[in-house]
Parts: sequence; structure tokens; C-alpha cells
Amino acid sequence: MSALLRRHPLLPVGLAFGAFLLFAPVFAERGTENDLWNMSFFVVLAAAWNLLGGFAGQVSLGYSAFVGIGAYTTVLLAKAGWSPWLTLPVGAALAAAFSVVVGLPTFRLRGPYFTIATIGVGEAVRVIASGLDFTGGSSGLRMPPGTFDFTANYYGMVGLALVTLVLVAWLQQHAFGLALEAIRQDIDGAEALGVNSTQVKLQAHAISSALVAVAGGLFATNFQYISPGSVFDFRLSLTIVLMPIVGGMGTLTGPVLGAMLFSYLQIKLLASPALRDSYLFIYGGLLIVVMLFEPRGIVGLLDRLRARLPRRRTQAVAEAHGAG
Amino acid sequence: MQKFVVVALNSLLAAGLYATMSYGLAVIYGVMRIINLAHAGLMMLAAYATWALNDRFALDPFLSMLVVAPAFFLLGMALYATLIRWLPRSQAGPSIQSLLLLFGVWLVLQNLAYAIWGGDTQSILTPYTMESVQLFGGRFGVPQILVFGVSILSLVGLNLVLRRTFLGKAIRAVTQNRDAAMLSGVNAGQIAAVAFGIGTAFAAMAGSMLSTLYAFTPDFGRSFLLKAFCIIVLGGMESFTGVAVGALVLAFIENFASAYTSIPVSYQDAISFTLLVVVLVAAPGGLPGLWRKLDRRVVAR
Repeated sequence: MSALLRRHPLLPVGLAFGAFLLFAPVFAERGTENDLWNMSFFVVLAAAWNLLGGFAGQVSLGYSAFVGIGAYTTVLLAKAGWSPWLTLPVGAALAAAFSVVVGLPTFRLRGPYFTIATIGVGEAVRVIASGLDFTGGSSGLRMPPGTFDFTANYYGMVGLALVTLVLVAWLQQHAFGLALEAIRQDIDGAEALGVNSTQVKLQAHAISSALVAVAGGLFATNFQYISPGSVFDFRLSLTIVLMPIVGGMGTLTGPVLGAMLFSYLQIKLLASPALRDSYLFIYGGLLIVVMLFEPRGIVGLLDRLRARLPRRRTQAVAEAHGAG
Repeated sequence: MQKFVVVALNSLLAAGLYATMSYGLAVIYGVMRIINLAHAGLMMLAAYATWALNDRFALDPFLSMLVVAPAFFLLGMALYATLIRWLPRSQAGPSIQSLLLLFGVWLVLQNLAYAIWGGDTQSILTPYTMESVQLFGGRFGVPQILVFGVSILSLVGLNLVLRRTFLGKAIRAVTQNRDAAMLSGVNAGQIAAVAFGIGTAFAAMAGSMLSTLYAFTPDFGRSFLLKAFCIIVLGGMESFTGVAVGALVLAFIENFASAYTSIPVSYQDAISFTLLVVVLVAAPGGLPGLWRKLDRRVVAR
């Protein structure tokens, strides 16, 4: 336990916050709950993206496709009479399958080439989804009546966020996480040490896209209406990438901090028309500032601040004990 | 047969524009090993600048390039001096960091256009926009022909600069081997700034020309960025001839696919994405790499 605490000093804070989220419906107002729902949604997207983009360093700009697959699967199956909850695993499976189809060719590319290819894949998916008949085209689809239950959906989203974080933390501790880290640092070195890099990347892609698809399904149930404009929205796919980057790529806490920042930004953006018109300035400016000054994001910034502060005695002693 | 000739001519006309559009990306990649994602935003901004000049001063879009291109050359130098210069230099390939930085620049440019001109679709109408010429039984739009002419002129001019001047030779030297160029007394930082300016100016020329052919919004340019990237990958990333060949190949495939198959027009953009992924996966060295591989195989026999 103490080893775990030393690795993740923010763990108690996180657990306390998780408990707060779970009990929020007892005392919080509906507006607050909506904001917390949105934050949990963002945590799932950011933490899941981070598994491939942060840990393995494979920056993908095409993740809104998986939100879309999850959302469309839920609506289409619910229209066929399924319970929305039962549609979630189906959406996850479809998204994972699609992630393999996309990953098999594109994972042969490295670094920025992979990133550019994912822009192409995202564009292609959006064009095709607006052209297909059963997706309702650009006018979108509505959930059947009687599927709306905010409290259940709230618990679903918060639970999914916690499961995602625990899963990512667990994977990070094991050989799988080390393999991802090795791929990020030096893919040839990783291969030489016996890591099947394509397979590991495909697995990470499948896990993260399945999580994102489940979030997409819950999104569809909560908003009751989806269209290519809402689930394949440029701002959404931008947010998915920016949250972990601004928070701190390849860390556990980074995506959570990023998700908090961006859900706060979203509330502010929705509240003020002037800000809403300049969200690209804010997003682009954040990206530029982070890339120029601290590519490790908020987490890197905090690390730097902590290194400046005089170290507390107790901590130094504890570390000396740990080392000795 | 007649149809074939007409489609081939159309492809050729498109290829000129494609080459201009891609060369800006290629020169920046060559000198700095950076993929300029802001290229699309720069093309969009130049399209708006051309439109604004046409709207205010009734300046012909093709003449306005004489103003827009130099202005964007300076803008590119400024971007280099304020942002790009501070990026850590990556040894092998382009870094994710530079890619994301320029992605941020693209977003800022988009918002700039939204803030100044709003989100409405704009287009430029000139007296010759609807004119066309009969040739080999096909109709060719006058703007398309003008765009082709200007593209060829600009590419020939650039080629002369690259081959005949010290600056051009220095750019090619840094592209081929940065360290060796520096050892021979080339100031690589200065060359990079100039190359970023040239790349931006070519994006601007492409944007001005695109504005005579297409309607545009601040979101304009994404599919053209992907096309340009596809072309420079086809062309082997850094050679001048490679870009021209890549542009021809993409233009011919696109035009022949839409003329001889039943792919709907809305999916036409998907051709370049698909080709991009196929080429990146099957022939990472582009056509030159493929050629060398085949050549070696023939020689081995």
C-alpha cells in the first residue's frame, strides 16, 4: 500500500473525489450533476486516448469515430427494441473491431505519419457516415421514448470513468504498460527486446476505442439525439486530443487534470457567446503554449514547481528509507 | 478516345495546382523535417486575403497574388522567428511536438478568419469565372487554365532559384545533409527561416488560386492538406521532380476514377486518403523508393 502511495501520491485525493462523484446525486443540484456527468465523460475520453496516444506515443486525431460508433450502435439497437444498457458491449465490440481494421495498415506508420493517416481516416468516416442511409444522414437519429433516465446514466458514466482509470493504472503496472512505454521511447529497441509492437499497439487501440465507444453510447442515451454534427463534431475530436496533451501525456493524472480543465472551459464557453466564438483561439493557443514551454503539460509544470519548492523533511526521510 | 484525351487534359490542369500546393509542404519538410499542419490554414487565410482584395479594391485574384505571396512570405518568416525556431531539433524524423504546435497555429488561423470574416461561405466571381474554352471536344474553364499557367510559371521560377542562386543551392544542401551544409558555411537557421517563408508563400499562392475555383469557409483546406501530403509522400518527401510526379499521379487517379467508375463525387476526396494510406504502408519511400527497389531487382538479375 505504501509503495502504491509513493507512486501515486494523489491516490487518496482521487479516491475521495471518486466517492464524492458517486454520492453527488444525493445532495447536488441537477445543473451540477450535468457538469459532473460531462467531466466524467471527458475523463473517459482523455484517459482512454492517453493509453495509446500518451503511453505508446501514437497520437491519433481520429478518435471521434469511436464515439460515433458507440453512439450510433446504441441508438440503432435501441430503436430495434434493445435495452440501452445491453447495447453498450455491442458498441464496444464493434469499435474494437473497427480499431483493428484501421490499425492494421496505419500502425505500420511511425510518429507523425501515423497522425496524418488518422486525419484521413477520421475524414473518411465522417464523409461515409453522412452518406449512409441507416445513420439518418446529416439529419441524425433520435432515441426511442422511455430510454431516458438521468440518474442511472450518471452512475453509468461516473462508474465508467472510475473503471477506465483503474484499468489504465493497472495496465501501467504490468508488462503491457511497460511495453507501451518502450514503444514510445524507442520502437526499434522495444522490438529488439521482444515486444511485438504492432500487436501491443493494436491491443491498446482496441481497449481504448472500446472504452470510448461505451462513453459514446451513454452520450447518446443522455442526449437522446445524435447526428454526424454532434458525435463527429470537430470540437469533440479536438477536445479528446487536447485534454491529455494539456494535462500531461503518458501520465495517469494528466488526462484527469486535462478533463477537469476542459469541462470547466466548456461550461464557460457555453455561458458566454464571446468566448464561444474564440474557442479555437483558446484551444490553439493552449496547444502552442504547451508545445513550446512544457510538452509534458500541467503534470510537467507541477513537477517543475515541486522541484523548486524546498523539500519537506519527512518526505526526504521517507524516500531515504525507501531507497535504503 | 476523345473522352480519354479530355480527362487527361483535365488531370494535367489539376496537377499544376496540386504541385504548387504541395511544394510549400515539401520545402519545409525538406529543410526542417517538419510537417506543416498549418499549411491548410495558410491556404485558407490567403483565399480570404484574395477575396478581401477583390471585394475592396476590385483587384483581380491573379494580380492580387503579387501582393499576397510576398506578404505571406514575411508572415512565414515571422512564424518561424516567433514559434518554430524554439522547437527542439529532432534528429531522425519529424517530431510529434512540431506537428501539434503547427496544429495549434492552424486552429488560431481558423479562428482569426472566423473573427474577421465570419463563418459564411465566400467565393470570388470574376468576369471570366464562367467562361470556358472548347478544346478536343471538351470544355475547359478559363480559371482552370489560368491557374495551370500561373502554377507552371511559379514552379519554373522556383526551380530556377533552387538551381541557379546561392540561396537555392543552400536550401538544397540543407535538405540533403544539414550537417555537411553547415560545415561548408551555410547558416542553416537562416536558410530554415527563408524556407519557411517560401513554403508559406507557396501555400498563399495555392490559396489564392483555390479561391478562384472553389467556395471557401474558415474550415477550408483540410482535404487539400491531405492531398498535398499524399503528393509529397508519393514524391518521396523531398525532391522537386518528385512533387511534380506525385501531383500528376494523384490528379490522374482522381480524374480517371470519377470519369470511368461510378464513385460518387462526395467520395472523391476519399481517393486521396486511401491512396495516402496505401502509399505510406506499401511504399514508404514514395515512387522514387519504389523505383529504386524495382531497379535494384532488375539489376540483380
